[in-house]
Parts: sequence; C-alpha cells; structure tokens
Amino acid sequence: MQDTVGEKTKESPEAPVVEEKEIAVRIEPDLEFIRALSMQGGDLFKKCMQCGTCSATCSLSPDSKPFPSKEMAWAAWGMKEKLLRDPDVWLCFHCNDCSTKCPRGARPGDVLSAVRQESVINHSFPRFLGRMVNKPQFIPLLLGIPVLLLGLALFLRDPIGEKLNLSNFTGDRIIFNYSNMFPHWLINGFFLIISMIALIAILIGIKRFWRELRAMSGSNGRAGPAKSLISSALVSLKNILIHKNFDKCTTVHSRYISHMFVFFGFMALSMVTLWVISSGFNPLIKTDFVYPFGFWSPWKVLANLGGLALLGGLALMIRDRFRDNEHTSTGSYFDWTLISTLLIVTITGFITEILHYVRLEPHRHLVYFAHLVFICALILYLPYSKFAHLVYRTVAMIYAEYSGRNVASLRSKEIQYSG
Amino acid sequence: MKSNAKPILVIGGGIAGMTAAVEAAEVGYDVILVEKEAYLGGRVVQMNRYFPKMCPPSCGFEINVRRIRQNPRITVYTLSDVEEISGQAGDFKAVLRVKPKYLTGKYPVDVSVVEKLTGERNNDFNYGMDRTKGLYFPHDMAYPHGYVIDRETLSDTDAGVLQGSMPDDAIDWEMTDEKIKVKIGAVIIAAGWKPFDATKLDTLGYGQYQNVVTNVMMERMASNNGPTGGEITRPSDGRKAMNVAFVQCAGSRDENHLPYCSAVCCMASLKQARYLRDKNENSKTTVFYIDIRTIGRLEKFYYDMLDDANISFVKGKVAAISENPDSKNLILDVEDTITRENNHPEFELVVLATGMAPNSINIKFPSELLLNDYGFIEGATNIEGIYSAGCSKHPCDVSSTTKDATAAALKAIQCLIGGEE
Repeated sequence: MQDTVGEKTKESPEAPVVEEKEIAVRIEPDLEFIRALSMQGGDLFKKCMQCGTCSATCSLSPDSKPFPSKEMAWAAWGMKEKLLRDPDVWLCFHCNDCSTKCPRGARPGDVLSAVRQESVINHSFPRFLGRMVNKPQFIPLLLGIPVLLLGLALFLRDPIGEKLNLSNFTGDRIIFNYSNMFPHWLINGFFLIISMIALIAILIGIKRFWRELRAMSGSNGRAGPAKSLISSALVSLKNILIHKNFDKCTTVHSRYISHMFVFFGFMALSMVTLWVISSGFNPLIKTDFVYPFGFWSPWKVLANLGGLALLGGLALMIRDRFRDNEHTSTGSYFDWTLISTLLIVTITGFITEILHYVRLEPHRHLVYFAHLVFICALILYLPYSKFAHLVYRTVAMIYAEYSGRNVASLRSKEIQYSG
Repeated sequence: MKSNAKPILVIGGGIAGMTAAVEAAEVGYDVILVEKEAYLGGRVVQMNRYFPKMCPPSCGFEINVRRIRQNPRITVYTLSDVEEISGQAGDFKAVLRVKPKYLTGKYPVDVSVVEKLTGERNNDFNYGMDRTKGLYFPHDMAYPHGYVIDRETLSDTDAGVLQGSMPDDAIDWEMTDEKIKVKIGAVIIAAGWKPFDATKLDTLGYGQYQNVVTNVMMERMASNNGPTGGEITRPSDGRKAMNVAFVQCAGSRDENHLPYCSAVCCMASLKQARYLRDKNENSKTTVFYIDIRTIGRLEKFYYDMLDDANISFVKGKVAAISENPDSKNLILDVEDTITRENNHPEFELVVLATGMAPNSINIKFPSELLLNDYGFIEGATNIEGIYSAGCSKHPCDVSSTTKDATAAALKAIQCLIGGEE
C-alpha cells in the first residue's frame, strides 16, 4: 500500500528543484511495523488527531521538533525508518503526563514505549533472537539455554579442573559452601564468557543505532556537534545518576523513587560482584578474601543493602503498574519480562543466602542453580530485552547532548518571575 | 378538530422553546411555555451578535416576543419549572411549580428604591462579571418586562425599605411556591445548554487568572448592555485588550471533559475576533485550533478573516496557561503542529472557547427518559409524545435550532392529532 501526499508537479525548466523535493513526501506505510506496534499495546495511536497537547505538555521535550506528537503521526503512517532512528523516543521516560492529558486517549507514552521495544529488536544482533526474546511462546527455550549451559559447565567442571590443575581451594575448609558446586574459577569464567557474548551483541546493536543517529543529524543540516563526546557523556551520566528526567514526571512521581532504588541496588550488586571477581589480580584488595564473607563484612553488607533496594524498588514498580490503570501504564510483555526476571534473581539470591546461614542442606543447591540460570538469562538476553534500555537510552542521551538536541524548553510554568 | 386538542407543553423559553411555541400556536394549538428564569430568550439574548450576518439577536427576539404576546393561545410561566409529567401521549398531566414573584404587579416599582438597597447578588446574566441588588431588572429586552425580586439577596432591612417605598398591596411577602396542574397532549423539551464549566480545565487557569475569560463572557463584554458597556477590556485592570488569544476546543473533543464538538465555538471565536477588530483598533488576535470547523456557507466567514494581517491562526491545542504576576499577562504552552515548534507566546487576554453542555432536567416522567452518551436527548425520545428540540438534542447554532424547534412543533401536533383519532 502506497500513498503520496502532495502532488509532484511536472518538471518544467523554471521549477526550482529544491522546493519540489520539499513538497513531495512519499509515504510508504510499513504495515508489518504498524501491526507490531499494535501488538505491543501501542495500538491507540490511530486515535491521535494531531492536536499537539502531548508535546506541549511533556516536560522533557525540547521546543524545537518536540516529541511525542510527531512520533504519533509517524506511527500512524507506519514510518518505521523514521521512528527507529529517532533519538527522541529514548528521551521519553514514559511518565505518561502526555497520556493523562491526551484528549483522545491515544496514550502517546505507551506508543513511544512500544517504539522503543521495536527499536531494540530491530537494532539487535542477531535480529531473530530479538524477536524470540519478546515472544512468550519461547520462554521454555530461552530458559532452557542457560540451564543447558550451566549444566554443561557442571559436567565439564572436574575434567577441566583436573586438566588445568584448578582446584576448589575453599571447598575443604568450609562445609556449607556453594563453591563445592561451582568453584570460583568456573563461575567467573562462565559468566565472563556469557558477558562477552552479550557485550559483542550489544556493541553491534549500538553501532547500528549510532550510525543511524549520525545519518539523521546529517539530514538535519546541523553544522557540527554542540559539545564534545566526552563532556556529553559526562553530563548524561550525571543526569542518569541523579535521575533528573524521572524527577520531572508529575503523573506518577513514585517512579523516580522506584527506579532510583532498582538502579542503585543493581549498581551496588554489580560493584560487589566485579570487585570480588577482581580480587585475584586487583592490587587495591588484599588477596586473603575468605569465602564466603561474614554477615558484617562491608562487601556483604553492601550486597545485602543492594538486594533490599532492588527488592523494594521492584515492589514499588509492580504496585504502580497495578494501582491506577487510568493514568499509569500497566506494562507490556517487554516490560514485565525485565521486572519479573530481576525479581526472580533477587528472591532466589536471598533464599540462597538464607539457606546458607541456616545451614539447611536440602535443595539449596537447586535454588542456587535457579539463581544462576536467571542471572545468565538476564545477561545473555540483555541486548534483546528491555534491559537494553540502559545502553540505548544512555547512547541516545549522550547523542542528544552531543548534537545540541537537549535544550531546555522555555515552558511557561518553569519561567521564574522576579516578583 | 384543533379546538379539542390538549395544549402542548414546551419546557424552556429560549430560542428553541419560543420558536416551537409560536409555530404551534400560530397554526391553532394551545401552548404552555415554562421558563425557569425570570425572562424569555435564554442564552440567545445574552449574545452580542449572530454569526455570520453579525446582526444583533435583539431584532429577531423582539419579533418573537411580539408573536407570543399577541397570541392568546400561548400561556407563559416564568420563574417556573415542571415537576412531574404523568399519563401517556395525547393525555398527559403535568405539575408546574411557579416560584413566588412577591411583586403583585398592581403598582409600578419606584426605580430610586434600588439605590437604597444594600444586599447584592452576582449578575448571572453577565456571567458574574458584575453585581445587582436584590431588586433588579434582568436585562433591557426582558420579557416579561419588569423588575424581579431575589428574596435571598434582600436583607430584612432591604425588605423593609422596599415595602416602605410602595403601597401595602404592591408586595406580598407571604407568596410561596404555587403548584399548577395542567392537562396536556404533548411535550417539547427545549431545556437548552449551559457553558462547560471552565474551572474544570485545571491547566488553563480559568478562575485562577483574572484575564482568562470564556467565550460567553466575551459576548457580554462586547454587548452595549453588558458589564463593560461594550468595551473589550482586561478584567484585571480595565485596559483595552490589544493582544488576544482564542483557545479553541477548551475542554471540547476531549474525553477527559466534553468528548464531543459543540459545532459553534469556531464560528463564535471568529465572530469575537471581528468584535475585537471593530472595537479595539489595531488589536491583534491569535486563534489556536485543532481544526477550524466552519461548514457550508460559514466557511466564507473564515476565509475572509485569513486575509486579515492582524488575525493569525495557529494549528495546535493549548496545553497550559500561566500568568506573569507582574503584568497579569498570560503565557501559553502550545505546539504549532505545522512547524513542529513548542511555542510560549504571551497575551493580554485569553478567551477560552468552551463548549455546550446539556442542561440537566429534573422532571419525573411516566418512565425514565433516556439520555445519549453525552447527556443529550434524542429528538424523538423513548417516551411517546415527548420530543426534544434545539440544544437539548445536540449542540447547534441558532439557525439550526429554530428549524429544529419548528420540526419538533410539527411532531407534537402530529401527536395531538393522532391522539384524538
């Protein structure tokens, strides 16, 4: 199905060629893409009447080419290319101020969320994995892969250990020790390989995304970058750390708190993990770590606090999604898979820890195994799931600074009067 | 045949009710016209001009009043409402409630007494932009043409002063609600509309900022008998408004407020932009809109205004308004959806083009009267013998209303004739 807006005038010697190009816009609706967006819960864009309330309401949107009204038009017209290379969809933090004010109930916030999912899938490498990760029927297969991989690691533990002369150095000293099952060399090595695979995939995705962003900035005719890449990155990282954009959300301000908890909880846990893994070669740490840590070891305390923050933040997120369907988003499959995976990881992590402290033998290795399966899934599918937002959004934010897109709006309510 | 027919009860004395009443009465049917205000004419007499001809409603109104006054078949009850309707098509019984007028009408009111009264009330006729005393004249053209007492506004001293200025039997404070039972054959509901309550538009600042007014207030300001004597000024300082914004679809076509289009607000704003061009020389006007809905012959009115350099049109719905506390000017947040820019222009006066909400009806019917999703009544209601007309049916302009009211009168007559056979 093709449609042409604006008649292309017949070429005549006098007709200025440049203007002609401006008038004729050839729209080739991508019906598959419209269908995909509709399936992600963003099917209400068809109700949009282009009144612009959303753009004028949004507290994150810049004054020039504001979002999300233009994206709503692109979505309705099935303009996939434009949407997928649009950094603005990643500048939206889905606070739904626009959806609350939308006179037609077209829910622009949810539409942009659906576009972000399509963006992750379409940039991902390999792309078929992106599609699989976001379809419920593939859950058994997607969980089966980590189970198999971890099973394989267990199966190869002794042969490899003997061959490379790697022993379980704490195994004999402490009885109730998970490292009997997964010695440190194995677990570190295993997750290093998994992380590398995910890293390569996400880097390819980002490379595709960045290339498109650059191509688009060329067409915008901007002379050059507004800031250096490094200072853009520093500003963006600062904004991420203080959750500046979340703080501007008025419809559901608790998202600022919940994301803050999840974010810093996750950061704490990641930091502890990386620190501990690096203990073998990190000159900043004395190498006499005794595993497992005591309950009051600073690392253990930080990890437990991180876990609690994660749990609390996730609980708040889930509550918000059930609380008020009218104004907040109830979440899509894309959204729920990330929340539930994180929740399962956190809960199995705590159970593993508790079973260790109570010295309860039965099944604790099973829980530990499940914990590792979900961590493996989390890392392995990062480039294809909502988890990828941490990379795409960061890149888009840096790009917005870099290209000068991130200019504060002169919204009337933010004007400071002398009086 | 005609002489045996029972009267038609017309509920509402606005342009729809008045038209239905005279159309039915002039072909020989008795009509009982019930109006809740103290005067006939409804919303129409509050208007300054009609679009597109820009003639004042007073001339048409005057003719209608004369037709009513001269026709013995029409009985008018003002300050009245209908409590109950029972029975069936062709043979209804209705209970009317007539509020006390206190003035017996035996003597004229001494105008100088008004000055001596102290209690004041908001003047609803001018949408609260000025105040009157407890004894007041509703408006220049009021029919019935006389003073009205608002008992609640009069203090006891006021009542004493009033009593003292006139002979003893000029005022009867003992008057109470009077119940009148009438037999009727058919009912026309012409209860009309009320302006959408703009205070519900929490981001647009009506009721919060003085210089945000509604379109119906603008009509009163532009009227020579209005609160400003026909000057279009800023409520905050009384200066002539020289830079005015019209916010179209203020609450309309919005599922959070009025989900429908009221069909008249675009023309009303264009008409009011013309007032500004005529009254405030060199004033500038900007109309913010989603679509300009001027259909049929009305489109020319819009196209003519596109040529005016002092009137601009911006496609985009205004999302929020805030006030500069020093100048009391207003700053709008709006996306121009053509140029794709978020703009924040400043204006001296903002007019919210609010839509029409149906007047609610508090009458006990023989069976429950069904309303549509938007609260309006379908032309032929679910109760046989009861019809609706004008803005009780859907939002519409005056010319459609009069046609619609004539149609409703015919429906009612058909019911009366059918009922006899």
